[in-house]
Amino acid sequence: MSADHQTSGLGFVGQSVKRVEDQRLLTGNGRYVADINPPGVLHAAFVRSPFPHATIDRINVSAARRAPGVVAVMTAAEINAITNPFPPFLMLDGMYTPLFWALSDDRVRHIGDPVALVLAESRHLAEDAAELVEVDYTALEPVASIADALRPTSRQVWPKADGNLLYDSSTEYGDVDAVFAAADRVITERLSCQRQSNQPMETRGTVIEVDPRTGHLTVHSATQTSHVLRWVLAALTEKRSMGSSIAAFARNKDRRTAFIAGARSFMATNKDSLGNQDNSGARSQFRKDRSFPIHMQRIGLGLLAKDDYPTVLAQDIGGGFGAKGSVHREDVALAAAAIALGRSVKWIEDRVENLTDGGHAREEDLTVSIAVDHDGTMRGLKVDLIVDQGAYPGFPVGAGFTTQIMQVMFPGSYRFEAFGMRSRVVATNKGKYVAYRGPWANETWARERMVDIVARALRMSPVEVRLRNMIGESEMPTHMITGPTIDETMSVRKTLERALQVVDLDAFERERAEAAEQGRHLGIGFACYHEAAPGPPDYMDSVNAGSDALTAEVARATIEADGSVVVYTSQMPHGQSHETTYSQVAADELGVSIDDVKVVWGDTRRTPFSLIGTGGSRGGPLGGGAIKRSSREVRRMLIEEAARMLEASVDDIEIVGGNIHVAGVPSRGLTFAEVAGAVTATDPSAHPFDATVTYNGKGDGGWSCATHVCFVDIDLDTGKVAIPRYVVVEDCGPIINPAIVDGQVRGGVAQGIGAVLYESSIYDESANLQATTYMDYLIPTTMEIPDIEIHHIETLSPGENDFRGVGEGGMIGAPAAITNAIEDALAGRGARVTTQYLPPTTILELAGVIRPD
Amino acid sequence: MTLAGDTLTISVTVNGETTELTVETRRMLSDVIRDDLGLTGTHLGCEHGVCGACTILLDGRPARSCLMLAAQADGSEITTIEGLASTDGTMHPVQQAMHDSHGFQCAFCASGFMLTTVALLAAEPKPSRERIRRELSGNLCRCTGYQSIIDGVETAVALIDTEGSDR
Repeated sequence: MSADHQTSGLGFVGQSVKRVEDQRLLTGNGRYVADINPPGVLHAAFVRSPFPHATIDRINVSAARRAPGVVAVMTAAEINAITNPFPPFLMLDGMYTPLFWALSDDRVRHIGDPVALVLAESRHLAEDAAELVEVDYTALEPVASIADALRPTSRQVWPKADGNLLYDSSTEYGDVDAVFAAADRVITERLSCQRQSNQPMETRGTVIEVDPRTGHLTVHSATQTSHVLRWVLAALTEKRSMGSSIAAFARNKDRRTAFIAGARSFMATNKDSLGNQDNSGARSQFRKDRSFPIHMQRIGLGLLAKDDYPTVLAQDIGGGFGAKGSVHREDVALAAAAIALGRSVKWIEDRVENLTDGGHAREEDLTVSIAVDHDGTMRGLKVDLIVDQGAYPGFPVGAGFTTQIMQVMFPGSYRFEAFGMRSRVVATNKGKYVAYRGPWANETWARERMVDIVARALRMSPVEVRLRNMIGESEMPTHMITGPTIDETMSVRKTLERALQVVDLDAFERERAEAAEQGRHLGIGFACYHEAAPGPPDYMDSVNAGSDALTAEVARATIEADGSVVVYTSQMPHGQSHETTYSQVAADELGVSIDDVKVVWGDTRRTPFSLIGTGGSRGGPLGGGAIKRSSREVRRMLIEEAARMLEASVDDIEIVGGNIHVAGVPSRGLTFAEVAGAVTATDPSAHPFDATVTYNGKGDGGWSCATHVCFVDIDLDTGKVAIPRYVVVEDCGPIINPAIVDGQVRGGVAQGIGAVLYESSIYDESANLQATTYMDYLIPTTMEIPDIEIHHIETLSPGENDFRGVGEGGMIGAPAAITNAIEDALAGRGARVTTQYLPPTTILELAGVIRPD
Repeated sequence: MTLAGDTLTISVTVNGETTELTVETRRMLSDVIRDDLGLTGTHLGCEHGVCGACTILLDGRPARSCLMLAAQADGSEITTIEGLASTDGTMHPVQQAMHDSHGFQCAFCASGFMLTTVALLAAEPKPSRERIRRELSGNLCRCTGYQSIIDGVETAVALIDTEGSDR
């Protein structure tokens, strides 16, 4: 491997260093959750509802219990008796979050809702027995759509909600009515996005290993958030009375001391942010559900009393795209079963389950109005958003919080004098709602779609309208109308201007005219966005006051007695190559080769706590920033000791290629091992150099920006949309590893292409899911995804840490660029694209080739 | 009729080593490779023959091990991802090329792609980019958008070509 990683003298950051993960992953030596088989492990199969909405009248498990190899069959009666419900987290004013349990007891709320768990000696035997579980259901009227949910007479999915409306919130920035009255025209369109699914190639899976001696649980799981999984499993499997919890906590002095210290440190770190928090969310939850504080208190006190939390050990993960950022009901059921039986258990989801209950996203209706003057100046924006959350919110983050991000980001990089937004979340009888790569991305899709619609209405070019309204460098610093600071890192305009240099619009028009003569329909579409990755320091408080406390990232760096460098991250890599990029960052800080750096992740015994894990394009800016700072701190300690040994001033010490020496005198240098050894020689118990740093991006921050340009070539015999060229001009600041950044961009664009042309988790009018295999839910292949042309701009930020996130951007920009290109290609036929999903039949309908039925 | 207790003894040569296995007749080849032989580099993505993650070489040709009964493999020669690198750990040119090209991200799909590529390059040592796209269209990747994998195949072609001329 070392041949790959020669020091160039310029440092590793900025180079397409080859991945250190590959040696194991490309040779079949990865360790994914399905590869883990503790001795005597029992295999799990879930019995799931075949009805979208029904009461459970009776469950008969006796035949299943008698089946060969079966050790246990557990229903809600057993599992929920020893677990707590998933409580509301991130509560918002005007929102009701249903409490729900690991297994459904009296009612099922979507196809695939889990009702029983079978544990047997093999997966085959567990699945055989699952078929023998008899459940009597009485079907209820299903709620199959947003329209169904809003109908006052529809059956309630959650009895304590207002009908099926779980959240309704309106906000205005500026005088919306006055601006709309003053503008020359108002252009309104209703846009809708279909239900999509993250679909990592590896399904969900959890193996819970029980230590037969101590009962300690080690949880191997395909999770994006190992610490959250640990805490949620600890919290939801500790069901005891509040009195007994208080007594246990009072008795345990170590626990008390640790808790108080932890709470003090958290409060101190997040003092400013916590002071901004308001409790209106908890109040609106309480109005609907008086039981929730009791559950919360019981859970909180249970956590204080519990003396053995599970260990989560997550290693190689086969993708997630947000779906594995939730803690799932199955995880809690499995942990409860493992505790009850005292046996290790293993569940590897199959693809049908994953398409059904592995997480859905993005089903949203948006009515958008733009108040505009005849010259193309966009002045006002109004949005009415409705999200179909399905039956269960993802935990801990459901759709409500995502609407807050959508609201803050909706105006994009344009100047608006006023903006009003209403956000609603409804419950339906569909699979649970999870975050999917840029969960708020429909703000970009809807806004950028509308800019094109406005341009067409005004007979202007979409590029002209964008340039006329887009905030440029001369106006900075300024603010988005929704609050966050716009500084020079909001470089969307630069990316658009570069894109216009890269694509030759005149040449395209000539090509379009020639193609038209041959009966081909070419189109071009633009989309522009900026993403808070991590965003300016005031970003999180604009989204939700006080939630800054959620975003801090902690990293630890150590230099061991043998001189090796180990960095510990709370990030949870699942394809993003953190191991490589963090090695690059730490190696540069410490003046060593990346081969000298070891990255530790996913093991909750060894990695620092995080409330998020991997998500929100945090890996570069916050995770990378924390690695950089902890490495720098440990370097400072190392140099201090080396200076003492070399009898020199710390300012004169430099490190080159692992050699610590007085500048200009490398021949009299020390190795890391020598300096570390000097510390351990005087105190053998000492951990030579060890630094833990909490980093929340404050003072650094900045925006990640891009312009996407999609070219389409549409065949009106078949409705097939080909993408002959796709250009991305992106700016995520200085790039740690260009090949890895390009990979993230391309992967996101590919998912965006899938979203527009191929993928739909479609339910029929009775809430039956129609896409439960890869024959119905179409993941695009090599034949559908073109090569993506990527250009980089690397705008520096005013702060010290310049890395900005890039994981989600590809998917944020792509649906808008593609749908804009399709409308452009078919504009001559009067097409107006109002849905994100455009399969061949819709293309032919838009073009007037066939009529909608 | 209950098949649950039925077993069958088969003989297969896996990565050059011939083994006799007693397997339940209903078990899939992929389960036997992963669970009985412990070769967990073969992954299961969909278990219904679409994603191609479980692809192995069966007598040199790519096959979906999740769609084949283990019994059907009796007497055949199987190559899994574990059989590509040399015993000293040196990567096969296709693995090396994928590494050089940043081919994969989460790499859950990687074994299937690489074994399909090995079969492709055996049949057509210098495929066009279009041909590569066609041949790999039976394997799904959700991370990369495929470009880096196709680049990896082209790199493998060049690498094998150089190695060949070195010899």
